Amino acid sequence: MEFLNPQFWTFVGVVAGVYGLLALALYVQFSMAGLPNFGHVAFMALAAYTMALLVIRAHVPLAWASLAGIAAAVALGFLLGVPSLRLRADYLAIATVAGSEMIRYLSMNLSFTGGPVGSVGMLGPTELAKYTTSWDPFIEGITGTLRSLLGDLASNDFSMLCLAWAVLLLFLLLLRRLEKSPWGRVMKSIREDEEAAASLGKNVYAFKLQALVLGGILGGLAGILWALEIAVFSPNDFQPTLTFYAYLILILGGMNRIWAIPIGAVLFGVLYSGTRFLGFYPLSLVDSGARAYLRLLIVGVVLVVLMAVRPEGMFGKRQELLLEK
Amino acid sequence: MTDSLLVVERVSRRFGGVRAVDDASFAVPRGLITGLIGPNGAGKTTLFNVISGFLQADAGVVTFDGRRLNKLPPHRVARAGLVRTFQAPRILTRMSVLENLMLGGVRQPGEHLGLGLLLGDRSGRERELGAEAMTMLDLLRLTHLAGAYAGTLSGGQRKLLELGRALMAAPRLMLLDEPIAGVAPTLAAQLLEHITKLRDARGVTILMIEHDMEAVMSICDRVVAMDGGRVLATGTPAEVQRNEKVIESYLGSIRHAGREDPQRSPREAN
Repeated sequence: MEFLNPQFWTFVGVVAGVYGLLALALYVQFSMAGLPNFGHVAFMALAAYTMALLVIRAHVPLAWASLAGIAAAVALGFLLGVPSLRLRADYLAIATVAGSEMIRYLSMNLSFTGGPVGSVGMLGPTELAKYTTSWDPFIEGITGTLRSLLGDLASNDFSMLCLAWAVLLLFLLLLRRLEKSPWGRVMKSIREDEEAAASLGKNVYAFKLQALVLGGILGGLAGILWALEIAVFSPNDFQPTLTFYAYLILILGGMNRIWAIPIGAVLFGVLYSGTRFLGFYPLSLVDSGARAYLRLLIVGVVLVVLMAVRPEGMFGKRQELLLEK
Repeated sequence: MTDSLLVVERVSRRFGGVRAVDDASFAVPRGLITGLIGPNGAGKTTLFNVISGFLQADAGVVTFDGRRLNKLPPHRVARAGLVRTFQAPRILTRMSVLENLMLGGVRQPGEHLGLGLLLGDRSGRERELGAEAMTMLDLLRLTHLAGAYAGTLSGGQRKLLELGRALMAAPRLMLLDEPIAGVAPTLAAQLLEHITKLRDARGVTILMIEHDMEAVMSICDRVVAMDGGRVLATGTPAEVQRNEKVIESYLGSIRHAGREDPQRSPREAN
């Protein structure tokens, strides 16, 4: 039965890890600095496209191409932030939505990005393009090492799971440390009231830019991990909904609780992927194509119910919601 | 006469057709408390916003301790040693009272991204700052609220906290915007006592906007009276109180009572 298929659940775990990383990137911007970014997926898309293009069209080694992908995401952070950060937060929200859709539509309509077919079409219709040539032996190497430790449990998927979660937890710990530092205190104060922060000598603009760039790095990393996991990607893999899944993960765990992110991410992975097992009666009366959309419905309903019952998220503090600014 | 820590020279600021501050000039003597009075709409808060860098002046010069402040962003003005409070206290509601105070602290290496990552919350400066903040809480008699969300404080306590937070930023000049407005009488007396102590024990120079004439007369060494964006009179409280133009402007404002301040803060005006 598919329900017990470990390969499937490993995939769910990778999804949770990558989306958790995306949520962590959003956490830096939204929960720490109070920057509403509604186009966060753009960091993922830009990093993935930059990486794949450099590998496929310029034959740059994967590691360097990945770094360049993250650098591109950072550049996007500057591009969005420099003109809009001095304005009210609403303008950043608009810039990010517009920016992310521009990237998606450009990648869909340019020929060198592969158009609507995405990465496989980067060399034109006659040749199948592939950016994972050097990645596959690397991940097999990890699997080999793991096999000697864990035996049959090891697989390439399992290695990817470990990698994604190692990256997520590493950055989670680093950011937790930053959050507790004076740097994090300034960020929080900017979220609460940036004029108060400025009146105490804090360079609000510089801090916001740092948050945007840090979020760009983590979002870019999520994009590269995701591209390596799915091996082939197209503009459709970077729909605006991804940004909202990241928000969902933050909301599920509790807005300002950084360690709730992995928990929110796992819950999201299960809700999102687990709903494909809704093939029992009476749902089986609906054909499977229509049922695929049910999961979106269910994710939505769960969110609405959670917000009604526990608006502060699973681990949030209700008092924080009640305090006005 | 002592030398001046802050000099405002022919400063103007317009909002559309309204001259909120119109060719205002005065000096704030070092080590004293100067009161800034005037009816609603006189331009006091706009002037505060200009001095503290939250608004740019259309004309004129603001000099702080011999240094021109024009065009400096608010955070640079604060770092120069000129720290302000707000009419409606801007406390950070979802942070603890202690965190609010610690935020104000100067010389925080951990505010740099790299050092913050390296040091976390365990640096020597951070411990020192925690102790400084606790001393401040003691002084403000808010020690029992150290761990509470600042958003749970009463209006008067918020004013106290904001005053303490501004003090943590080691100011040489404090701009206080209505420090006792809307505060219960006992707390107001306590606030005034703190302000006097700042002058006497720490040598902090103070410029404060206040509507409570009794308070102004009792603690201010100098008074600047404004109306319609212009400076009407400067001098000792007694001198200003006797000034014909000042009396006329206050009586006039009583006649036109109910008119509201058109530009309180740069943001609220939008």
